[in-house]
Amino acid sequence: MTEIRRLLPETGIMSGPTSVERLTERGFERAMARAMLMTPSDIIAEVSQSGIKGRGGAAFPTGLKWSMVSQAPGAQKYVVMNADESELGTFKDRVLLEQDPLGPLSGLVIAAHAVGARKAFCYIRGEYREVEQVLAAAIETLRRVGLVGPDTVEVEIRRGAGAYIAGEETALFNSIEGMRPEPRVKPPFPTNKGLWGSPTLIQNVETLANVAVLFAHDVEWFKAYGTKDTPGTKLVALSGHIHRPGVYEVPFGTPVADILNAPELGGSVAGTGRLGAVLLGGAAGTFLNAAEVQNTLLDYPSLSKVGASIGSGAMMVFDDTVDLTWVLTKMARFFAEESCGQCVPCRIGTRRILEIAESGNLWSRTQDLRELGQAMRDASICGLGQTAPLALLSALDRPELRHHD
Amino acid sequence: MDTQNSAVYQVVSALLEDLPRERAQLLPALWRVAESEGYLSQDAMEAVSKILGVPSAEVFGVASFYSLFEGEEGRVPVYICTDVMCALQGAQNLKDAAEKSAVNRPIAVKESACLGQCDHAPAAWIGGKVLRRASPEEVKTAVTEVRHD
Repeated sequence: MTEIRRLLPETGIMSGPTSVERLTERGFERAMARAMLMTPSDIIAEVSQSGIKGRGGAAFPTGLKWSMVSQAPGAQKYVVMNADESELGTFKDRVLLEQDPLGPLSGLVIAAHAVGARKAFCYIRGEYREVEQVLAAAIETLRRVGLVGPDTVEVEIRRGAGAYIAGEETALFNSIEGMRPEPRVKPPFPTNKGLWGSPTLIQNVETLANVAVLFAHDVEWFKAYGTKDTPGTKLVALSGHIHRPGVYEVPFGTPVADILNAPELGGSVAGTGRLGAVLLGGAAGTFLNAAEVQNTLLDYPSLSKVGASIGSGAMMVFDDTVDLTWVLTKMARFFAEESCGQCVPCRIGTRRILEIAESGNLWSRTQDLRELGQAMRDASICGLGQTAPLALLSALDRPELRHHD
Repeated sequence: MDTQNSAVYQVVSALLEDLPRERAQLLPALWRVAESEGYLSQDAMEAVSKILGVPSAEVFGVASFYSLFEGEEGRVPVYICTDVMCALQGAQNLKDAAEKSAVNRPIAVKESACLGQCDHAPAAWIGGKVLRRASPEEVKTAVTEVRHD
């Protein structure tokens, strides 16, 4: 089990992350030159054939999204890089932008060409100030070589200011437009009505990096790793009780246990050395017990058998001493604070969960919590409210994870 | 407030001089003022409202939504990540150290949700710089070095 490096630059690469040399060395110059000679529909066909799915968490087929934006009526179109990475335990986009910002940006330029957008935004969380500087330098490099500018696509950085919900795509549009970053009701979807009501393509940083490496090579190369369902590689972010915390790139289909234990990857469970649970996919993710970790692969079909998904690729590792009630209470407080409050199921639901957690009744009021969770999933207008109860419900489904003193 | 002539209006006006007068510039405008002045005062938000032509209630509505605009007059915020991964690795010790060295200084210690530095937990964000795998000692030093002019 070795780490693959495609989205992340090869170790030992000599050129600076924002240098013109890096563009050549990583093949991004070639990627953009190749894409610019293709028709938009050929580009979109290649993205579809590659099987790339969105890496922000929803795993929506990227080629399909591009064709929807491309076909949506409207003279003005936009593309947006979502770098508002704020999900608990998630830091892959930060590492990607620190190490290789020209990759995602090249993907953004190709995306703009494919859907006919002349204006792009990179929305980055305000706490990533140092990363923002790297991103700005990389945009400057692309401007110098003529790939960004008035004749191609203008790229503007927008800095968030500390609001988790602003990472939700329609809330992000509102933030850029100078409104409160509250999610909009969908439909209409961003592919038809996004920024200022125009068709907008919004993608996660890692998705765009996939596009860049695809066009630097070809579909066959891209599909050499991964599974039939999900070709390619995924960045996973390991943290917590693990010997080698960090971001690793692995093919889809890699056993979850290998990611934790391989010496080149997680290097095994730290703390007591005995695995308690893994929270996969962030605060809105799923807890896996030790047996599930042993028996699952990092792929959607395998994980769906245990009710889990890859989400952002965050893997938070807890040894067997961690009281998950404490973790769940902390996450409940987070969602109650970050709920924007405009829709009732989320505003009240996140509060109720927090109250139950703080009163020490998480494990005894499971039926109430399940009903509450269902109401939030059914009736909240955005992903925050819909997914806020997921990790909690996944823990309730695994009573063996409950900590007994 | 007699806006056009007030000192605050002059300052904000200079800060926003090259920004297009449009609603979409509200967040960048608020950032410029917050970074330059250290916080967003009521008068500064009034000035932004006048300059961009956005109703002042809406300027306040937007500004108050974002936690990084919660600064107060004369107190520089420093952030300690106390989310799950950092809490597991000793964030409380960092917070205690920060609070101790903030005593008698114009500094507000704030708990932050996940800063996205979990591979380097525990983390803090002080004076625009992220401290990774921070020790209480490092936090103490960083807090005492925060500029507050």
